[in-house]
Amino acid sequence: MADNSRRTLAIALAFLLAIAGALLFASRASRQAHHLRTANEPIHGWMSIPFIAHTHHVPSSMLFAAIGVEPRQPHDHRSVRHIAHELNRPVPELIAQLQKAIDAAQPPGGKPK
Amino acid sequence: MNEQLLSLVTQYGPLALFGIVGIAAVGVPLPITLLLIVVGSMVSQGAMDIWLAMAAASAGSILGDQAGYAIGRWGGTAAVAKLTGFLGKKGSLDAMEAKARAWGGPGIFLTRWLLSPLGPWINLASGTAGYPWHRFLFWDILGEVTGAAVYISLGRVFSDRVMALDGVLGDMTWAVGALLVAVVLGYQLWKRLRKR
Repeated sequence: MADNSRRTLAIALAFLLAIAGALLFASRASRQAHHLRTANEPIHGWMSIPFIAHTHHVPSSMLFAAIGVEPRQPHDHRSVRHIAHELNRPVPELIAQLQKAIDAAQPPGGKPK
Repeated sequence: MNEQLLSLVTQYGPLALFGIVGIAAVGVPLPITLLLIVVGSMVSQGAMDIWLAMAAASAGSILGDQAGYAIGRWGGTAAVAKLTGFLGKKGSLDAMEAKARAWGGPGIFLTRWLLSPLGPWINLASGTAGYPWHRFLFWDILGEVTGAAVYISLGRVFSDRVMALDGVLGDMTWAVGALLVAVVLGYQLWKRLRKR
């Protein structure tokens, strides 16, 4: 009988914990969703230059020019990591250069449409 | 490793996508949701054809799932033990087998896309539990095509917000998982309290 009560109590605690977890993650998701359109998208080494240009609403030709690379035709889908390897330069340095070019292209306080 | 996989997809497109989702479906933990969102973004930029992307993502996942099911069903105890050891706790397979029996087709469908971390376990457990292959295939195809369509479409809509969207979806998956656990525990609790 005591074992049964203890088991019921354990299930009740686990139930409350699961509810708390669901609420916590749902609130985090909703908070992130709220900032979805305004959050700054970070640049990662796996991204290609056209991909970065698209996520930051700037021309890809400008980004290629900023890192001194001639884009391959018709599509250049090399990742930043790949380009850095070809240029024999560190990835963070290339990312910083791209970020600087994006910041310079965007008007203060907002992104170009 | 995630960075390299994502750059493989941005560089080599559907072929890389097919291989990566197939490997993930067998049980290797890879960021498939993010991958599909990135593919959706690439589709919106005109860097990949939507139908090709959908076909590669669905076919790769289905093949991987079928491999997991086949190992469970016909692989023998040694192969099953090896894969369960690779997936995590060995004792969990019995629990998953019970879940696979209880949830049936809808369980297979939901673990293809909404509760995808459980997918490889359900593949294996469906095989060991002797769940009929034609039914497994039906729910598997339905679930994987739904998953590919949902995440690639989300990637298309939020093509300039892939990382932020991945964060939202990650938290939502955990929230849905916790909610399902709460429903199961709540039902058990209700049954116990009613008996008294």
